[in-house]
Amino acid sequence: MAKQLQKEIRMKQISFPRYAEYNCCIKYGLEHAFHNVRYIMPPPLTRQTEELGERNSPDYVCTPFKTLLGSEIEALEAGADTVIMTHGACRLGYYGELQEQILHDLGYQCELINLSSYATGKRRDWLRLLKHVDPKLNLPKFIQVARDTLKMVEYVDDVTAEYYKNVGFDATDGEYRKAYRKFLASLNIADSRADIEADYRTVKREFQEIPLDKPDRPLRVGILGELYTVMDAYSNRNLEQKLADMGVEVHRWMTITNQVVHYSNVKNLEPKIKDLCTYSMGPTSTANIWFAKTCAEHHFDGLIHVKSANCTPEIDIMPVLQNISSTYKIPTLYLTYDTQTSDVGLLTRLEAFYDMIATRKKALS
Amino acid sequence: MKKTVLIERKTPVVGIPRALLYYRYAALWETYFRELGIKTVLSPPTSRQILEDGAAMAVDETCLSVKIFYGHVKALIGKCDFIFVPRIATFGLRREMCIRFSALYDQTRNVFRETHQRFLSYNLDANENIDQEKAFLNMGETLALGYSPAELKKAYAAAEKADQRAWREKLRAQEQILKSKGLKILLVGHPYILDDPYLGRPITDFLRSMDVLPLRADIVNRDTAIKRSLDVSPSCKWEVNRELLGGVEMLKKEVDGVILVSAFPCGPDAMTNDLVTRKVKDVPLLNLVMDTQTGSAGTETRLESFVDIIRLKKGVL
Ligand code: SF4
Ligand code: SF4
Repeated sequence: MAKQLQKEIRMKQISFPRYAEYNCCIKYGLEHAFHNVRYIMPPPLTRQTEELGERNSPDYVCTPFKTLLGSEIEALEAGADTVIMTHGACRLGYYGELQEQILHDLGYQCELINLSSYATGKRRDWLRLLKHVDPKLNLPKFIQVARDTLKMVEYVDDVTAEYYKNVGFDATDGEYRKAYRKFLASLNIADSRADIEADYRTVKREFQEIPLDKPDRPLRVGILGELYTVMDAYSNRNLEQKLADMGVEVHRWMTITNQVVHYSNVKNLEPKIKDLCTYSMGPTSTANIWFAKTCAEHHFDGLIHVKSANCTPEIDIMPVLQNISSTYKIPTLYLTYDTQTSDVGLLTRLEAFYDMIATRKKALS
Repeated sequence: MKKTVLIERKTPVVGIPRALLYYRYAALWETYFRELGIKTVLSPPTSRQILEDGAAMAVDETCLSVKIFYGHVKALIGKCDFIFVPRIATFGLRREMCIRFSALYDQTRNVFRETHQRFLSYNLDANENIDQEKAFLNMGETLALGYSPAELKKAYAAAEKADQRAWREKLRAQEQILKSKGLKILLVGHPYILDDPYLGRPITDFLRSMDVLPLRADIVNRDTAIKRSLDVSPSCKWEVNRELLGGVEMLKKEVDGVILVSAFPCGPDAMTNDLVTRKVKDVPLLNLVMDTQTGSAGTETRLESFVDIIRLKKGVL
């Protein structure tokens, strides 16, 4: 018992702020790859998280910075002593350094592991980081766990995509939603690759078995936009669920699997949008423009572009999206989210959009 | 040896928007085209009208600098064969431009699609193995006017030389001010804000009218500045912001006050200016954010009281 307690004390209490449904994967990865890490799950995002972030952030930084900062503070309050911040293209690569400064100015004595400091393109720098976290690192085991974790991410994305395409047509009393929630909850306690596989098989089977009441050609909407807000259901105020509940088949390409894990595929999309742009306009721009164009070509009923306030690359592709919208005559709704965005306000706009595309569909068919 | 025959080339007229990176690369661009015998026209200096025209074309949330840029593009339409909009993305590891410059060429083409205006670009992306010289040679080829590689190389070499000469000129002017006696204030901002006749110039002029010597954080030895920026911000990756951060480090002991000037809502500045505010504690600091509504009266009042405070502190008021 005392031994157990001592071990517990020596453990690093690491957290990573809330991000869509991926925190279970981060937890799995960290706790299995390192022998000395306990993952601290930050509390679910709330208005309070956003306010906490907002209060301590520069005024016109993009909203995910504020939300993530709020979530980091809540994780520290929940007992974390270390926070990880990712690197990335665009301003994301600078989040870590500024957040560390802000947290220290607030008086938190935490360590912030800023992946940007290690992202030099050299393997040796990543190794240095791994040894820093766990001096007794078992590299082969780490690689295995990394693979399992990526698989987990892929499953989350696959299941989430299927969920939002179908949940609007669930013929039962909420069985579809229950199956999805259960899948996510069970991933939170997954302890092995076998667990992950079993959870995946179960939810896929359940999805198969639940009767759907879906027309041959339902209303189809493509969702695209900025990496954080478009995936994080709290930040986008449950956009996808709201649409699905109106009876829409919701499609979103932008996921960690598609955009980050298989980034080389994204590069291959460039030739497909040559008529619209010559160069890569930004890290997520190519994929978003390609997806908008593809939905338009496949006669989707509408597009929704999601971004946080002040998001540079997403603002920059709007002229291209506007041209797609007018060339293909596809209605497009542009949503900008900040910490003040209200559920009710969003619902009103979505209902109006829904009415418009539904009427249009009737008139065209 | 074959004698070169004089070819009568029908060279196009290239329009250069007097905005954004023109203020960094004027000599480079103008010399390159001149060397190739290509005529250039420059849009008029920024005015209220240009700003409003640009803002009307732009997505509302775009930064002020790009809104102004569109105003300049609009002013050139119908006055030239091509409008020149380079795509300048990266110079190396942690040496990138604000992401907006990667998008600028395609964004502009899409914004002005209806006008059927043709655009000319060069693509500088060192992280994709296209350095500046290669970018210029590529552009020369896309012009398809039959320039030989040697001609293009020569034009680029001349352009680079002119660029360095112009840069040394700026450094010298700044040295002069540094040596002079008087109250000195360091202006920290992108050159296209500080040098813009509508945005930044009035600030410099007003400071001068108050007997203040304005210095510039961006006009310092760039290599030193890039190195010094690591002291304040090890992971900053924006080239111009690193120059500015380094410039502040290099000059903060020489000046009596620092003014951060940015365009609303500038992505990089929103973050690095916050960092400067948190880290640079030993000198008075003023943060000016310019947007489409900023009036000169309000700015002047803030400048005036800032200068008064500094003078009061120094006991000269
Ligand atoms: S993509 Fe948008 S939200 Fe993300 S870092 Fe860049 S500006 Fe911020
Ligand atoms: S650096 Fe700032 S002002 Fe310049 S283009 Fe980028 S966002 Fe606009």
